[in-house]
Amino acid sequence: MENTNKDPKEVFEGYNEKYDEKLMIDHDYDGIRELDNPPPPWLMWLFYFTVFWALGYAAYFHFFHVGPLQAEEYEIEMKEAAEKYKTNDAETKSIVLLTDEASLNAGAATYAKSCADCHGPEGKGGIGVNLTDDKWLYGNSVKNVFETIKNGTSKGMTSFASLPDDQLMQVTSFVLQKLNTAETETDTTDNTEN
Amino acid sequence: MTQEKFYYDNKIVKLFAYATIFWGIVGMLVGLWAAAELAFPSWNLGLSWLTFGRIRPLHTNAIIFAFTGNAIFTGAYYSVQRLLKARMFSDFLSKINFWGWQFIIVLAAITLPLGITMSKEYAELEWPIDILIAIVWVAFGWNLIGTLIKRRVQHIYVAIWFFLASFVAVAVLHIGNSIEIPVNFFKSYPVYAGVQDAVVQWWYGHNAVAFFLTTPFLGLMYYFLPKAANRPIYSYRLSIVHFWSLIFIYMWAGPHHLLYQALPDWAQTLGVVFSVMLIAPSWGGMINGLLTLRGAWDRVRDSAILKFFVVGVTAYGMSTFEGPMLSIKTVNSLSHFTDWTIAHVHIGGMGWNGFITFGMLYWLVPKLFNTKLHSEKSANTHFWIATLGMLAYSVPLYWAAFTQTLMWKEFTDAGYLAYPEFLDTVTQIIPMYVTRVIGGTLYLTGAVMMLPNLIKTIKSGHIIENEEVFAAPREKIAKKRLTGETPHRWVERKAVHFTVWVLIAIIIGGLVEIIPMITVKSNIPTIAAVKPYTPLELEGRDLYIKEGCYTCHSQSIRPFRSETERYGEYSKQGEFVYDHPFQWGSKRTGPDLARSGYRGGKMFRPAVWHYEHFKDPQGFIKGSIMPAYPWLFENDLNYGSLKRKIEVMQMLGVPYPEGYADQAGADLEKQAKEIAGELKKAGKDIAWNKELIAMIAYLHKLGKDISLATEDKTAGTNTGDEEKETVEFSPSSNPDDLEAGKEIYKSSCAACHGANGEGNIGPNLGDNFTLHGENANDIFKVISDGAGIMTGYKSQFDAVKLGQISSYAFSLLGTNPENGKDPEGKEFKK
Repeated sequence: MENTNKDPKEVFEGYNEKYDEKLMIDHDYDGIRELDNPPPPWLMWLFYFTVFWALGYAAYFHFFHVGPLQAEEYEIEMKEAAEKYKTNDAETKSIVLLTDEASLNAGAATYAKSCADCHGPEGKGGIGVNLTDDKWLYGNSVKNVFETIKNGTSKGMTSFASLPDDQLMQVTSFVLQKLNTAETETDTTDNTEN
Repeated sequence: MTQEKFYYDNKIVKLFAYATIFWGIVGMLVGLWAAAELAFPSWNLGLSWLTFGRIRPLHTNAIIFAFTGNAIFTGAYYSVQRLLKARMFSDFLSKINFWGWQFIIVLAAITLPLGITMSKEYAELEWPIDILIAIVWVAFGWNLIGTLIKRRVQHIYVAIWFFLASFVAVAVLHIGNSIEIPVNFFKSYPVYAGVQDAVVQWWYGHNAVAFFLTTPFLGLMYYFLPKAANRPIYSYRLSIVHFWSLIFIYMWAGPHHLLYQALPDWAQTLGVVFSVMLIAPSWGGMINGLLTLRGAWDRVRDSAILKFFVVGVTAYGMSTFEGPMLSIKTVNSLSHFTDWTIAHVHIGGMGWNGFITFGMLYWLVPKLFNTKLHSEKSANTHFWIATLGMLAYSVPLYWAAFTQTLMWKEFTDAGYLAYPEFLDTVTQIIPMYVTRVIGGTLYLTGAVMMLPNLIKTIKSGHIIENEEVFAAPREKIAKKRLTGETPHRWVERKAVHFTVWVLIAIIIGGLVEIIPMITVKSNIPTIAAVKPYTPLELEGRDLYIKEGCYTCHSQSIRPFRSETERYGEYSKQGEFVYDHPFQWGSKRTGPDLARSGYRGGKMFRPAVWHYEHFKDPQGFIKGSIMPAYPWLFENDLNYGSLKRKIEVMQMLGVPYPEGYADQAGADLEKQAKEIAGELKKAGKDIAWNKELIAMIAYLHKLGKDISLATEDKTAGTNTGDEEKETVEFSPSSNPDDLEAGKEIYKSSCAACHGANGEGNIGPNLGDNFTLHGENANDIFKVISDGAGIMTGYKSQFDAVKLGQISSYAFSLLGTNPENGKDPEGKEFKK
């Protein structure tokens, strides 16, 4: 290698005695010099660690099939939720008309937020059907209305299954008792529009 | 040794520097505008070309390709000549590079707001521009390699390694991701579909970050930082180790953009582990940069340039740590689709790319013009404002992201979504969107401050466009490795060998991930129920792409209870086989739309709802930040290219029947009239040939097929076999069955076919004519599977009930009810 006998101080004006004892004499690119420091060991160990982690990760999920892949992970999550909320399901099995003021007010609030866009603030209809008259596409028993709201319909009614059953019951009660002004019994199931 | 005289081309550097400053300010301004639109939707001023969906791609392209692209060329053209002691190989290629690049940017600035887009992120530009990019990029590479060949120095410096890797990788990525079949001059479809398109796109997208925003900037850092600090590079060996590990590993990490989505698990795992392995190689660059400043830290206090470099390199270290963390599936399940990603890329973009560029410009412009920087104080102020701006931009976005993702995932004690209304999770973070606009404004203010400072600097000096230099020619030494020469040192003096090694290093990752995705069928289990888009849906899809809906709405439901409860069944690979290009999106500013066509699902909205919503979203839903789309109501649907579109799709393997292209126009019209009819029935008068109709048709297609196929079935399985089972149906005449059928008819069929089968939206069922099929079995099939707009009911009723309805329908034939609709179809013989 050339220049090895020269004093680094002479060849590089930015030479700093405290830091630059390892100056690589023949590395000079447009005045940029390089030192021969090793890469920091902690950085190299970090790299080796991530490589081993990567192998372990692949082994855990794919070679030894210990960890669940995503479809299985989802099934586990759903199963756990089903267990956890089982009691709630049982509670809500009975679908009843609520008549207390608090429930009806809560139902009105939910209606304003989630239903009024389509059925109108007064339930006169718009995008969705009129809820104030005596025409019911899916029946007007408590159960019919509740299930229509909860499960949606193939004709475009959105499913609101993501709302709690209690809340759906409140809306159902509100719709049947407050919005609907028709003089019909609320348990007939065969009134059909057109 | 004889010294040769030659000239550095400083003029080309000057031009690129001017372009950098100009496009930087333009790109940031567009970004600021887009950010403001999220907080204040009316800021699009009712102009189609100014909506978020159109200008978000303009912002990303302007920042990535115009601002940082020109910055890369500025620094590369300056440093390459000096590091190689040679003028650029060809002035002509330099000019092609400069003017060609600016021309491309101008084309992008025109086409993107017009909605001429491929919708693939950072690869939105249409095919003619893609070709131009390839040509100009090759001109740059040719110029670079030509200069390397005629260089006067023996070894090539690490900055050049990074420039070389950037050239090679971007060429491969751009060409690989842009293989598309033109429909017309402004429209093309990528050859890849669905999952494949997603993998190729994010192989490209991730590595656009790697080889456009990272490696070239490391090249700039390796030249300008030691120059500005006048300190030697801390570790030559570290340069070698981190260079090769970085370019090799980066290419594998793309799938981390698709975690928990409809991607095979093995590909996701590769994305995760290679991202984590990227930490140390990335940090190698940061460490080498920061430790190069050893012995110069006292100067950092005073020098704005060094401050920009220090914070820039630190931001690089931060975002390259955050990136791998976001690639861990658990973290990603929280971060993906939220503003976390946006905050992350802005630490990288504003901090690393922006600050390195500003530091470089403040150092370079005085050098080019042989003068001193006009105001060091102003540059320091720029630094502080920009730093503050970056924090004020990103901190609120992190906060917004944590808030929103936790709201999305929160369940009540009873097990229901705590925030079932998506909008509630949006209104919650609007204040953060406002704060972020303030941060962006500060950052832009800094950049604008730079302008007069640099102009005054330029005016105070003069440039020598062709700078005279002397250097000895390269000494001819043995081609073989010398004794005592390390293998790497040997390759450093062999430019072509070096380039080949780079190519090998970058190509492996992509090949291993993409080839199996395309060739191995089991990676994409097909779902027989998934049907190609009807002509109207296809045109609607192209409108969805044109409007940039994907910038705010994903079409990819992840397998989490919090998502399936909100949106419906999670997305499957087989659903996307006809999607050229895929539309999974990467951000949920609005809700996911993958199930917006699932009638009776949580995301279905009737045509009238869409009508109201597109017309005036904020009037319709208080607090919505969706912009209004009045032009969808005014513009005639232009389906002049429909025939060609169908032909291109057939070429790409979409199974339209032979000759379907000729029939497509008529089918489009028919379906459009049905939707217009449905709207009219609801009191909305709109001509069938308006864009809105096609958009609704498309939204009503999303998730429609699989909703019929996978109901009650286990996820991800191939439902094809079950589909093929033929059902033998013979109509029942048992009164009980007919009565039961009638009951179901009343609730499920009467709305469309009339109480007595006289017809309404649907055809008359009481005459002797049928549209689909000629025997009882066909009737059962139509009711079960659907046909045309007729809904299939097999997801709602079991076979017995389907049989009862079919029997009832069969019994209706020939009853000729009152007020019957005119007969349609062929005569039916019982």
